Amino acid sequence: MQVRLYGLTTCPYCRMAKRFLDDGSVEYELTEVDSLEGQEKDDAVAEVRRISGGASFPVIVVGDEVIVGFNKKRIKELLDL
Amino acid sequence: MEPFALRLGYRFNDDDEFVAEVLASEIEILDETGDVYCPCRVRTGDPKEDVKIVCPCIPFYADEFAKLQKCWCGLFVRTDVVDGSALHGVIEVPAGGPAEVPVSLLAEFPPGTLRTVRIGKREIALARVGDDFFALGNVCRHAFGPLGQGFLDGHHAICPWHGWRFDVRDGTTDHPGADVATYPTSVRDGYVFVTV
Repeated sequence: MQVRLYGLTTCPYCRMAKRFLDDGSVEYELTEVDSLEGQEKDDAVAEVRRISGGASFPVIVVGDEVIVGFNKKRIKELLDL
Repeated sequence: MEPFALRLGYRFNDDDEFVAEVLASEIEILDETGDVYCPCRVRTGDPKEDVKIVCPCIPFYADEFAKLQKCWCGLFVRTDVVDGSALHGVIEVPAGGPAEVPVSLLAEFPPGTLRTVRIGKREIALARVGDDFFALGNVCRHAFGPLGQGFLDGHHAICPWHGWRFDVRDGTTDHPGADVATYPTSVRDGYVFVTV
């Protein structure tokens, strides 16, 4: 299943989510929105708003499901960890 | 930061290491931007919007956080939470249902006080008459004056703009069709709560 993590470098729950996925050897695509600049950053923020309805992080996409916040239980369920 | 949060019914998370991590992030953001924006959200560039994510952002999300029992990034937890570190994984706001929101320390709200409190998107006028608390919509239906900045006369809140009177017990006024909403209040553990 495709996994994507939108985060901020400053956000503790984003770091926790990254550690959790790394520890579970989950392959995922990482976008650290505050590391981007200009149009690339605007596009990433717009995408996060579109899929999550806000701009609070982390936003984790597992397959078709969008999880707002570090919801360990839901990630475990979806990825069979 | 914490003395202010305590007035809103929140304290630092029990997980000291986590608190240090969040504060370190906030200091980086302060150095970069000039204000302590939430480390878990992005700024829009619109100052009117961005002011709502300056830490502690509790008043602007007070209804959601009251249910979550913590702020979004977990720096602050409600004073009645036993172990804040246990809330780290909790992030979804329970949908629907009322939220009992702490709005003031009881000791800082003496009888005869009328004040505006913010709960998320709502502004509410909170009044104390004797030992009873009353919460009503803050906006006068005449010219949109802020009732919480008005005067208290017995059980009536008087709008500071043109003197319209509202009964704090039921939100009624003498002007037809201009009553304001009321909200349940409660007092517990040294705090005043409004349920929205």
